[in-house]
Amino acid sequence: MAEAVATRELTYVGAIAEAAHTVLAEQDTAFVAGEDVAGAGGVFGSYRGLLDAYGEERVIDTPISEEGIVGLAVGAAATGLRPIIDIMFMDFMGECMDEIANQMAKMRYMFGGSASLPITIVTMSGGGMNMAAQHSQSLEAWICHLPGLKVVAPATPHDAKGLIIAASRDDNPVFVVLNKLSLRNTGEVPEDSYEVPIGKARTVREGSDLTIVTYSRMVHEATTAAEALAEEGIDSEVIDLRSLQPMDTEAMVASVQKTHRAIVVHEAVRFGGLGGEIASQIQELAFDYLDAPVARIGAPFSPVPFAANLEQAWLPNAPKIVAAAKELLGSE
Amino acid sequence: MQPDDDTLRDIHRRMVRIRVFETEAGKLAEAGRIPGALHLYVGQEAVAAGIMAHLSADDWITSTHRGHGHLIAKGGAFDRMFAELFGRATGYCRGKGGSMHISNMELGMLGANGIVGAGPPIAVGAAFTAKYRKTDRVAVTFFGDGASNEGSFHEAANMAALYKLPALFVCENNGYGEYTAQANHQAIVDVADRAAGYGMPGVIVDGMDAVAVYEAAGAALERARAGEGPTLLECKTYRFFDHVGVRGMGLSYRTDAELEEWQKRDPIHMFEERLAELGVLSQEQAAEVHDGIMAEVQAGIEFAEQSPVPDVATLLDDVYA
Amino acid sequence: MSLPEQAATRVVGIVANPASGKDVRRLTARASVFDNQEKAAIVRRCLAGIAAQQGRGQTAQEDSRAAVLVRYLPDSHNIVASAADETRIAATPLDIEASGTAADTRAAAQALKGAAAVITLGGDGTNRAFAQGWLDAPLIPLSTGTNNAFPHMQEATAAGFAAALVAHGDVPLAAVSERAKAIHVAIEAEPDDLALIDAVATTDRFLGARAIVDPRTWIMAVLTRADPAAVGMTGVAGFALPLAASCDSGVLIEFAAAERPATRVLHAPVAPGHFADVAVAATHSVALNAPVHLQGPATLAFDGERERTLQPGQRATFTVRRDGPHVISVRRTLAHAATAGRLSVECGALGAGEREGPPLARGALSAGEREGPPLARGARPAHLTSSNSTGD
Repeated sequence: MAEAVATRELTYVGAIAEAAHTVLAEQDTAFVAGEDVAGAGGVFGSYRGLLDAYGEERVIDTPISEEGIVGLAVGAAATGLRPIIDIMFMDFMGECMDEIANQMAKMRYMFGGSASLPITIVTMSGGGMNMAAQHSQSLEAWICHLPGLKVVAPATPHDAKGLIIAASRDDNPVFVVLNKLSLRNTGEVPEDSYEVPIGKARTVREGSDLTIVTYSRMVHEATTAAEALAEEGIDSEVIDLRSLQPMDTEAMVASVQKTHRAIVVHEAVRFGGLGGEIASQIQELAFDYLDAPVARIGAPFSPVPFAANLEQAWLPNAPKIVAAAKELLGSE
Repeated sequence: MQPDDDTLRDIHRRMVRIRVFETEAGKLAEAGRIPGALHLYVGQEAVAAGIMAHLSADDWITSTHRGHGHLIAKGGAFDRMFAELFGRATGYCRGKGGSMHISNMELGMLGANGIVGAGPPIAVGAAFTAKYRKTDRVAVTFFGDGASNEGSFHEAANMAALYKLPALFVCENNGYGEYTAQANHQAIVDVADRAAGYGMPGVIVDGMDAVAVYEAAGAALERARAGEGPTLLECKTYRFFDHVGVRGMGLSYRTDAELEEWQKRDPIHMFEERLAELGVLSQEQAAEVHDGIMAEVQAGIEFAEQSPVPDVATLLDDVYA
Repeated sequence: MSLPEQAATRVVGIVANPASGKDVRRLTARASVFDNQEKAAIVRRCLAGIAAQQGRGQTAQEDSRAAVLVRYLPDSHNIVASAADETRIAATPLDIEASGTAADTRAAAQALKGAAAVITLGGDGTNRAFAQGWLDAPLIPLSTGTNNAFPHMQEATAAGFAAALVAHGDVPLAAVSERAKAIHVAIEAEPDDLALIDAVATTDRFLGARAIVDPRTWIMAVLTRADPAAVGMTGVAGFALPLAASCDSGVLIEFAAAERPATRVLHAPVAPGHFADVAVAATHSVALNAPVHLQGPATLAFDGERERTLQPGQRATFTVRRDGPHVISVRRTLAHAATAGRLSVECGALGAGEREGPPLARGALSAGEREGPPLARGARPAHLTSSNSTGD
């Protein structure tokens, strides 16, 4: 067994900040750039204390120019630096999609492998904070669709820190899709530097009747749902994908082979969401093991509403998962 | 500031290399021997040559869809360039990029680019690296009058000026954004006017005059390397061939008379006349330069045609590092 | 081609050079680009000044006199046309097809011959090109750029008003203008050339980016003025041998070279914000009409821009003459008009309905002010200009 690791309770946002400090301490060529990241320490507090610790040459406030920011990262990475850039809200990807899709994702391939783009893009997704339609989206499907990009979506403080560090050491562009409603969540986080491997899922809860495949904040909703289902005698396994591109297909399939039923849960709009891809992979690779169609839970096909009651109605949550699970089991 | 004899001959050589390569590439494209879209640089040679004469392989450039000329002027080898245009495994991009993405990291050429206006933000990143590492390298971004309407240009110009980066924004104003005349795509005539909005100098030079470009770029690059920030250098120029290919799609969007007027100011002919007058390069010596480069071009074409196509097994190589 | 005789007397010409303020001196002179939107704004203010003078005669008879006609160069950037669109002034373009080169300005000058006053927007080069087309024009040169010797930084509103005063004959041209000197350049076997401020020979081999910034390349300079408070060649010469524009002579400076040892070194402002050592072999005063000779090879720069090349052995002759433009002083023109009472209207002088538009200062003046505006009190136009003679 490995030595006991020193850990302590840390918030999700604290873990993000600790990861940023760790990366800048470890890598001379790493710098953080984005809107309000330096003087303000990030609008969510993700970079608190970073400017004081590493100075303005390495912690850089940018203009509100997402295309410029991503372009800066592409150019700096192609010429030898390891940028960490912050796109404050994932919704703002619309401002920089060319640099993401046509430059960052493709440069290495187009150049026959001669360019490396070790970029970490940190961004915030998710609703539940009354931020309405343009500050609440979960747009991970956009970027998972682009060959050349990696995408991770940590659910816990532990994984947030470990995945940011892993992303910063990866020689590819990696999106770290964080969740803004999870910022005050707490969890055990090791003090030292560590990586959570990109492409590896985590089994949050073992079970035998049903597999819930999910990621980001929905991991917590799924866990809550699993506990509720357990009281009714339904034993659910919860898989936190953690990494969306590449995706740990093996882990999902192994679980489904054991439980024979699967529900995919994400906060993103259901139509065209990653759930479709996951369900498809499961049926392609574990069709013979399935006792029921793969169920999908995602947000309804509308923009994220503002009013609290509407937004709560829009968001996937534990009760919706419970209902879907019962239907799935009742349907056999 | 004025180029010495060696520099003059060097600039001439760079221009002729572009002219001969592009003319032959155009023929191959129209004959159907090169696949895909070629955007040829003929007419604009003085810009690439006059600027690249100041740069070393340590300096970076970003290019445009009309990128062959920039790579040639930066030192690109004909054999590997033709191999890329032909889609061969020996090409600069191993056949994965083609004309619109031709690049060479060792030469500091961060790619031709199929997206109009995509280069400036990337050059800003390269210039950031130069400053971050406390080097005297510079990054030069080439773009057209059309690209100056893209938000990317404006974001990049603002950031370069804000951070006082060692960058040079070179607008090759050839009067057309694809097939749309400048008067129909922007309310201004001088893209250099836009520099004022970002707090950087905006300079216009005759883009058909290699020495004018060389001198202006020299002053701008000196400023950039001294840490005084970027410059917007607008070179008034003209493309002698169509937007795509030589005769292109035959769209009627400009007149023969206009083309002929500009061809009277052919940057290579004007330069050769003056070089002969000065005794720097006689007409016979210039002809030898053309012949020698033509031989190199033909060798490059032969190399490309004899090169293997990429192995299909490499299809998924280099999607990721 | 020039204007028909009878109309010409009331014509105010406007020539805006779209290329001024954008050359390589943005870098060498730490200058910012002078964009054409600003030039259009200047023209708008000019036109407002002209419009304000319309119908401002002191008698009903004068009021009914014909309006000033504005003719302008239809420049390649539509600077004047876009400005004229917005005013009530009748402004019509000259019949010139813009080429986007200095030839446009020369052609405009020729076409404007006979005009009562011409406002130019540009730098030294713009006015040189204009003088090539019409040497003894009545000019109000407005500077659009950094470091110009011939044109002035001058508010266009007042310039337009002054031009209209001259055009109406309210102010006699001779009383408010000075004849500028010009350098006539004869080049062996080639067309002649002209400079208004300086003609410089350099060892540069190319016209290139045109600016002359490196003193090590300078061979000689002939100047019509040398002002130590100026920057550039005029300033350098001023460090060596100051000469007012009003003085009836020129200056010749021979710069040091291998065959011409330096007799003194000036640490002079060769460009705005930029000092350099300039080694001088000799300085001479040159009488008007006395030729200065030079033999090539050399590049000749006129009024700050490399324009011509001399082949080895090819000769050029430089002669300073006082036959250049009549440069109108805006200040003298307005002061002259004010002193003559033409800028104000006696309150009792007009009956109701006698004129359209709001009367000037009706009821607004205090008794003391009615004596005359402060500018003109006790000041004669001559006094106002004497301290300004080198600048105008």
